[in-house]
Amino acid sequence: MAMLEIRNLHVSVGGEEILKGIDLAVDAGEVHAIMGPNGSGKSTLAKVLAGHDGYEVTQGEVLYEGEDLLELEPEERARKGVFLGFQYPVEIPGVANTYFLKAAVNAIRKHRGEGEIDAMEFLKHIREKMKLVKMDDALLKRPVNEGVSGGEKKRNEVFQMAVLEPKFAILDETDSGLDIDALRTVAEGVNVMRTPERGFLLITHYQRLLNYIQPDRVHVLLDGRVVKSGDKTLAEELEKSGYALFEDNAA
Amino acid sequence: MEAAKEQKSVYLREFEAMPATGETWLDDLRRRAMADFERQGFPHRRIEAWKNANLASLAQQHFPPAAPGADIDGYLRKLTESVPDALRMVFVDGHFSARHSDLTDLPEGLRMVSLAEAFEAGDVTTDAHFGRHADTGEHPFAALSTAFARDGALIELAPGTIVERPVVLHYFTSEGGAGMASYPRLLVHAGTGSEVRLVEHHAGVADEPYLTCPVSEIVVDDNAGVRLQHLQESGNGAWHLGVVHVELGRDARFGMHAFSGGARFGRTDVYVNLNGSGAQASLNGLYMVSSGQFADYHTWVRHRTDHGSSEQYFKGVLDGKAESVFDGLIHVAKGAQQTDSQQQNRNLLLSPRATAHSNPRLEIYADDVKCGHGSTVGELDADALFYLRSRGLGEREARRLLIFAFANETLDSMTAPELRDHVEARLANWLDDDRAGGSG
Ligand SMILES: Nc1ncnc2c1ncn2[C@@H]1O[C@H](COP(=O)(O)OP(=O)(O)OP(=O)(O)O)[C@@H](O)[C@H]1O
Ligand SMILES: [Mg+2]
Repeated sequence: MAMLEIRNLHVSVGGEEILKGIDLAVDAGEVHAIMGPNGSGKSTLAKVLAGHDGYEVTQGEVLYEGEDLLELEPEERARKGVFLGFQYPVEIPGVANTYFLKAAVNAIRKHRGEGEIDAMEFLKHIREKMKLVKMDDALLKRPVNEGVSGGEKKRNEVFQMAVLEPKFAILDETDSGLDIDALRTVAEGVNVMRTPERGFLLITHYQRLLNYIQPDRVHVLLDGRVVKSGDKTLAEELEKSGYALFEDNAA
Repeated sequence: MEAAKEQKSVYLREFEAMPATGETWLDDLRRRAMADFERQGFPHRRIEAWKNANLASLAQQHFPPAAPGADIDGYLRKLTESVPDALRMVFVDGHFSARHSDLTDLPEGLRMVSLAEAFEAGDVTTDAHFGRHADTGEHPFAALSTAFARDGALIELAPGTIVERPVVLHYFTSEGGAGMASYPRLLVHAGTGSEVRLVEHHAGVADEPYLTCPVSEIVVDDNAGVRLQHLQESGNGAWHLGVVHVELGRDARFGMHAFSGGARFGRTDVYVNLNGSGAQASLNGLYMVSSGQFADYHTWVRHRTDHGSSEQYFKGVLDGKAESVFDGLIHVAKGAQQTDSQQQNRNLLLSPRATAHSNPRLEIYADDVKCGHGSTVGELDADALFYLRSRGLGEREARRLLIFAFANETLDSMTAPELRDHVEARLANWLDDDRAGGSG
């Protein structure tokens, strides 16, 4: 059985249908990429998987490790190992990164029946992950995502992923708006974490990311539907011909 | 209303029954103040500065002046531990309690005595300043206070005196003060180039109605600095109607942080007159308002001459059926060029039933000034909440963290950092009382 299985998922916002029957299965150890133009429903899918309550699931189901994912609160999903890297990470004024990360780590540990993390152990753990994403110490005391560039926010998402070590990570355009150095760092963060136990769903707008992270499967999302799936050559094809090609398929 | 005015108020009758001191200036001052109260009465909603205040049930009750001598030993330990190594004056039900106070090793140049003692001795500072600043003509409770106050603290700094130890004034309403009124006063005169840090702490017996009208008059001479930590933690049945009135000389500085979490009805009017060039004032605060409580800060910052600067930053957190007012005046007189004056008020509503009134008032008559203001009333940021939850934090914990972060920011400007733990603990307890809501 797949690690994440999406079956005939229909999602509406304010009565308007945005996802119109998505079927997708990601196995442990796999990286799937979802590509699609503006407004095709990529972030909607990501947020529904993370448990955002602004979206209404009208049909279908999502199984995560065999369990009904849609029944769970967002924090329960996180504690069970689902991670969403936000397209637009949120600023949390007044809450320092260390405090926030520690609270998150401890919430996950508690769920697993483990005690609170030891202060030294925690520091060692986050220092190691900071090195991975090339972040400096000053970040730790700063409020979450406040007063930093878009690129820094994306890097911070990868950092959080590295710290929390999820089983299944959804990255929503974590590559968008990054210069090549930052993109390489993000890609490396993902590649290091690629293990046989872990699954990834990479949402991207640009084929460029896939030069650095080799996906197992590529899906094209258009107007709320997966119109084509294939191997990584599909991304290259898309780069050359654009989405127009698939619009015909969809119609 | 008119009919009621023809009769004497119960407060006037009580006033007339009190003995005169024989000190002409003081007796005259009190009589004038009483007349000011009698003319104004309890303010009603048609008076602009009191339009959000519902004082109907205060006006219907009568709170006679509380007697001296009540015991508060049990409570005191907590009070003294909160600011160690302080010079301390304790007032119980408005009366100085020497045995609870600590005035040992007063540094040279600092004078701290009870006002009752100063009145008795015909003290010249009290003659010059007591009741001369707080506006009894405009503020009915300042009037009531000046008419009825018999005690308080007199703090005088000789020019150039730097007081290193914090000066703490505890005003406590005891069980014996339930159903009664207290009018504690503070008079501070900081001579040229002197500096002092004050804590004004109001607390009282829980669940009992009482009235307290604390009035502080703070006169800061040229180039002197006074910092005030104001804590309004009156009992939850209290009517707390206070005034802090500050006069600033040339290059004088006043910094205040106010925290309020107490009282059924708590209002403090803060008047700051920047009379000399280059005077600076900073007023910050946090009000934490529970269901059934009303919290109100009215600020009156008046730039009367050039090169003054002032900043005001107040935040409020309201829960349940709570109500708050922030009403902030920035007045810049015609000649007050090069004034820099800023004001911010932010309110966080934890419940749809809570109401926060935010009312900036800018009266600017000079043309070469920098003035800014902002005010917001909002709920918890839903995106931030989702973001935290998506990282594993429970809804309750996430809400709590966001509320705490919002409020905690204002504590950076506390003028008595040694009380930060105390205030943070109050905030944390308040949040524990199920206010964070949510599950998990
Ligand atoms: N909360 C919402 N309220 C109303 N409409 C929404 C909401 N969220 C998404 N939509 C609409 O759903 C459609 C899909 O949006 P979504 O953000 O999922 O697209 P996307 O593929 O992520 O686009 P982008 O490439 O711009 O990130 C859009 O038409 C958008 O306007
Ligand atoms: Mg998107």
